[in-house]
Amino acid sequence: MDKGMAQDPNAWPTSDFSRVPYAVFTDADIYQLENERIFRGPVWNYLCHEVELPEVGSFVTNWIGDTQVVITRSEDHGFHAFENSCAHRGAQLVTAVRGRAQSLTCPYHLWSYSLKGELTGVPLLKGMKGKGGMPATFKKSDHGLNVLQVQSHGGLIFGSFHAAPPDLKAFLGPHSLSQIERLLVQRKPKVLGYLRQRIPGNWKLYNENVRDPYHGSLLHQFQVSFGLQQPTMQGGIKVDADLKNTWNHSILSATDKDNQALMAQAYEGTGKFNPDMKMADPALIHVPLDLGDGYKTTILSIFPSLVVAQVDNTYAIRHLRPKGPDEVELHITYLGFESDTPEQTHDKMLTANFIGPSGYISLEDGEALRLVQQGIRHRRPGGHEVLEMGGVGPVQDTDYLSQEISIRGFWSFYHRIMGLGGAQAEGKPA
Amino acid sequence: MSTHLEAVRSFFNVYAELLDAEQFEAWTALFDAEECVYRVLSRENQDLGLPLPIMGCYSHGMVRDRVAMLAKGVLTYRRDRLLRQVTNVQCQPLPESMVQARANLVVYQSSEEGVSRLYMVARYRAVLRASGENWRITSMDVVVDSFGIDTMLAVPL
Repeated sequence: MDKGMAQDPNAWPTSDFSRVPYAVFTDADIYQLENERIFRGPVWNYLCHEVELPEVGSFVTNWIGDTQVVITRSEDHGFHAFENSCAHRGAQLVTAVRGRAQSLTCPYHLWSYSLKGELTGVPLLKGMKGKGGMPATFKKSDHGLNVLQVQSHGGLIFGSFHAAPPDLKAFLGPHSLSQIERLLVQRKPKVLGYLRQRIPGNWKLYNENVRDPYHGSLLHQFQVSFGLQQPTMQGGIKVDADLKNTWNHSILSATDKDNQALMAQAYEGTGKFNPDMKMADPALIHVPLDLGDGYKTTILSIFPSLVVAQVDNTYAIRHLRPKGPDEVELHITYLGFESDTPEQTHDKMLTANFIGPSGYISLEDGEALRLVQQGIRHRRPGGHEVLEMGGVGPVQDTDYLSQEISIRGFWSFYHRIMGLGGAQAEGKPA
Repeated sequence: MSTHLEAVRSFFNVYAELLDAEQFEAWTALFDAEECVYRVLSRENQDLGLPLPIMGCYSHGMVRDRVAMLAKGVLTYRRDRLLRQVTNVQCQPLPESMVQARANLVVYQSSEEGVSRLYMVARYRAVLRASGENWRITSMDVVVDSFGIDTMLAVPL
């Protein structure tokens, strides 16, 4: 373990972030700093989707970094969020993951709070028979819950601990705005279910994974074996101006014999190219893409912990809940749409097999991240990741998928917001 | 139904043993080739009345596809040894030579260096059809209490 190494300016030797110190994934001090400078910093953290708060009094809980928050819909139908900790003695206020309540009452001394987080009730405030009670100086208005700033866009509710967070739309950037419109707004979503995956790896490894189209057809052998995706597949990436948010996409295209030959070449020596497999029941892969715009996979990765993904006909919000430097919970909200026919809903039960902890084209991600965390935990100090696939130098959009350029974009923004020394972030060229 | 109970217990023993031994093709033969459903469901979704499965196979072909990569050995997954314990087996008769069966499941995961830990806690809810001396699975739901899945769920439960 190279404690403190990531904060050493020399730990970031390249200005294009083609080298990233492994210490960022293992160092407890870095993890603490992330909670302070990122999750409590000038960012917007995903909280939940509006459809999860359908009524006055609906609440859900979520995690921002290490902090658990409660999100509510109040009487005026506004959305509110606050830390899940009583203003009195700090007890966890809400223990249910989600539910409905008129007010929130701490189990310990029954202090109660409005749906906006204001303290409304203190038992024995005036004591009993003139004895005890709170001093005259005690004002309930001074003891509300720790509230976050809350804003929503396209049904996604975000919160910020920061006093002066950036403009939400500017923070999301143009690619996020158009993809949120495409995936979550043009049809009204509904929740079809949740998936949870506890991955014994650092939360940033997942951020790398979703910005890494290079691994797609190499790690995920299902696609390759059944000829569903190929390294020759067309697609690309777009990154926003400050490089933190990425949109990766692949385009549906007919496979042909030329591609098969290229495949064999791309997989030469790996022993992994098995195009002989045929599905016994291909209903799953024959589900038509219901948006009809030809995009097979679109992965929108929004700093620091949100992914909105379309994989074939699946639509999901993936949220990262860091659990210390060595573990992250991936929380997936799987979406259908109000306009879906029963057949389309059934199709989404089929295509659900693509994603999540058992997903044909995702299940190995958890294992890959575990292996990285295992591999770097006790490596010789001073080591770096090598991120050169697809080119080095300035981070830019590409029209190809064999690349790690958008990972470098993530690190550029991370490095800046964390205030780490060393490499200076290069802006995206005009 | 005590006569069926012993047979259903034996069925679950075979079921667990085939998966523990990674005899995936033999495991698929326990399903009704004409009509079968196999789902792994999160208790969270069940309690909320939400339909999303963790794994969902709606035909015998889909059950075979679910383990095709495992059988061929091309999947990257944790090569730990799994041991399933099936307990509290119960069954009730249904029409047409079928029974409704219930059981509890725990799965332990043991590493190549000999360290074991609890991997899964789940409940079986199955409909089995008598087929000669044997049972075939018409439907099986595995409702997972430990739905915060540790790393990945590659091998069926």
